[in-house]
Amino acid sequence: MTTTQRVRRTPRPTAATLMVCVIAAGWFVRSRAAGPAVIKFEDIAAKAGVQFRHHTRNFKGTSADVLKMFTSGGASAAVGDFDNDGFDDLFIVDSGEGTKSHLYRNNGNMTFTDVSEKAGVGGGNDPLSIVADALWFDYDNDGWRDLLVARFGTPLLYHNEKNGTFKNVTAQSGLSKFGNTIAVVAFDYDNDGRLDLMFGNYFKPQNLLDPAGIEKDPHVLPNDLDNAVNGGGVTLWHGLGNGRWEEVTEKAGFSKHTGWTLDIGHGDFNNDGLQDIYLACDYGTDRIFFNNGDGTFRDATEKALGFDTRKGMNADVGDYDNDGWLDIYVTNITDEYMKECNMLWHNNHDGTFTDLSRETGTCETLWGWSAKFGDYDNDGLLDIFVVNGLRSAGPDNYIPVLVDLITKPGVDFTDVRGWPNIGNMTWSGYQKKKFFKNLDGSSFKEMSNAAGVDNDKDGRGIGVGDFDNDGRLDFYQANADQNSLFYRNTTTDAGHWIELKLVGTKSNRDAIGARVTVKAGARTLIREVDGGNGYAGQSTQRIHFGLGASTTIASIQVRWPSGAVQTVSAPIDKITTVQESAASGSR
Amino acid sequence: MNRTWIAIAAVAMAVAQGVRPAVVTSQQADLAALEAALSAAPDDLRAANDYRMAIIPVKQYDRSIAFFKKLTADHPTAANAHLNYGFAYVDKIPDAGAITQVILANNALGEFTKSLDLRPSWIALYTRGNSYLFWPRIFNRTKYGIADLTEALKMQKIETKRHYHVRVYVSLGDGLWKYDDLPGAANIWREGLAQFPDSDKLKARLAKQGDELKTVIEADYDPQKRVDTSLQDLWMER
Repeated sequence: MTTTQRVRRTPRPTAATLMVCVIAAGWFVRSRAAGPAVIKFEDIAAKAGVQFRHHTRNFKGTSADVLKMFTSGGASAAVGDFDNDGFDDLFIVDSGEGTKSHLYRNNGNMTFTDVSEKAGVGGGNDPLSIVADALWFDYDNDGWRDLLVARFGTPLLYHNEKNGTFKNVTAQSGLSKFGNTIAVVAFDYDNDGRLDLMFGNYFKPQNLLDPAGIEKDPHVLPNDLDNAVNGGGVTLWHGLGNGRWEEVTEKAGFSKHTGWTLDIGHGDFNNDGLQDIYLACDYGTDRIFFNNGDGTFRDATEKALGFDTRKGMNADVGDYDNDGWLDIYVTNITDEYMKECNMLWHNNHDGTFTDLSRETGTCETLWGWSAKFGDYDNDGLLDIFVVNGLRSAGPDNYIPVLVDLITKPGVDFTDVRGWPNIGNMTWSGYQKKKFFKNLDGSSFKEMSNAAGVDNDKDGRGIGVGDFDNDGRLDFYQANADQNSLFYRNTTTDAGHWIELKLVGTKSNRDAIGARVTVKAGARTLIREVDGGNGYAGQSTQRIHFGLGASTTIASIQVRWPSGAVQTVSAPIDKITTVQESAASGSR
Repeated sequence: MNRTWIAIAAVAMAVAQGVRPAVVTSQQADLAALEAALSAAPDDLRAANDYRMAIIPVKQYDRSIAFFKKLTADHPTAANAHLNYGFAYVDKIPDAGAITQVILANNALGEFTKSLDLRPSWIALYTRGNSYLFWPRIFNRTKYGIADLTEALKMQKIETKRHYHVRVYVSLGDGLWKYDDLPGAANIWREGLAQFPDSDKLKARLAKQGDELKTVIEADYDPQKRVDTSLQDLWMER
């Protein structure tokens, strides 16, 4: 079943205005085919009412300065349509003690209204917890997106009451395990229609906000700066379907991973209909786990990737070369003093990946954080936007100070007391963001300046969505201890597009894990609905396809998580809702 | 062919043929033989170099580092043992993570300094001076590299001219360029080219400007690339 809609909070159009729209649309179609797109964005955060200054948590005790520096990663943005009005809304995280996170309701005209107070979802930054990430997902399949707030602490789960308010249902959820969580994704690893959760944890599970605990055990930092194994790893929670989850980390095969997880990317990497997992880990080896289909996963890192020693910060998933296999983009640190290079893991179709970041021109993004694939000019090729920058402060640089520590014979990196305070020093600060336009599926061109997104803020999270339903992807940039940015896509001569809102029936209602294959022109494009891929930012769950100059689509096929395969149709330059059909064939 | 070369050849052959248990045993025995030879002559520059060259293809860097650590502890006045101990750290750098690379590079500098403190030599001055140039500008170590290389240049000017002396002209010029003294760098490169007119490195530097010159120079100081730490130039006649 498909329905096409373009929801706007404007009066119903008259026949005359409809005629104008049809004529305008016809002109628009012609103009799009006229020439190459000129990618351009405009920061409208203040005008849109979503400019927000994030606060990193201040710690107490003698190691306060160092702990603040190590936990400055939590500026996050989650995109999701919580009120089902057809426009994506924004949940923006704050991390300072007593500060509130913000829920911004999209008014449909690129302005937003802060509805945090009425919604009741702004809390969580208590003296012993830090809000670090957030996730929209419809855990009870009632058609309304609920909200999970991840913390250095225990998570908070809010049920959407369908009236603009939320109810804290954490207590009965079973999600009571403490973790220093920096990333969370929802996905359905066993395709049972009930969403599961994976939490990525940075530090080991010790409350860093408890000064007495730090006094007792100050060995909370990485045991090796290239091969650390004393981080928080991940926890996997199986959805039971009644608003409860049970932990299955060990049973599923994840308990041996004890790295410093910064991000989780999920997707069907080997085209077997099952969701696999990529873990981006700071201070050492990223991990890839393939889903065995029996509730367990196998760690295939050695064969699939090899063991790296880099500082994995982000894992976003997309098919950048349109070969029908999902690739993975990971940011690392490439700066004057450290040349790691990012990783663009090209899928070799055989369970292995090859890093082509150097070959494609996507290697250097300085101190990278979130990076998001998106076809920002609707040419049918996924581009990449990357935020970077750790700490922009005074003129003195922390690096020489840090090197004195690193090169000290016999130094114990784990001991927080041994690290020098950063004070007002800068560390990889004032870095220009990077925007990589995909030229041909095998090479990218960096054009952040021309695109108007080369700001030098200390970026962390990116939330991508088509906030004005015009078919061009916009994005929100959350920054640490700085004002956020909200980039409206004003690209001219962008290509044609379709957007699909998938609604699962047998599958999870959010259709997370569904794969859509579109054939248009000479291209076959795939996209999957993801449940929070990419560091500190959840993007829209609506599937977006750029079609370039194509004005017709040969076919659209949806492979639902249930295994059902459905052929649908959708008009170009429209948003179409697709509901999982009971009559769909299976794989 | 002496015993050392037989051992190196055996290790190289083992690597080329793929590692099998019998070969592994053979490799270990060959490395042990090289270690025994070096232990008997700890200040033998050539023996130490041969041992490191045998270590690199089998990537047993930690073994090499541990061996030189013990060798220098047992023979603290063996300047060439310290020099090769430093090189053992350098040999591991391309296979290490970015932060471990810093630690290894710093450890190497420490050993080069001990070698120089024991016995100032052209090779030790050139080695330490060149090593400083691998450090990014932010660490302010370039000036120390220039000082060492200037001393090495003085030293080579009063020695018999050797084909490897060209290296100091290249590196000193690179150091001056890195210190934003492009005229000084060009002067040194030109002086070097007058002495060594066949030097491709000097020609390349003098032929480039701006970003092209930067690319040429930085390609020689990329920590991801293996630095040729073989000292065979010192005894190879041309």
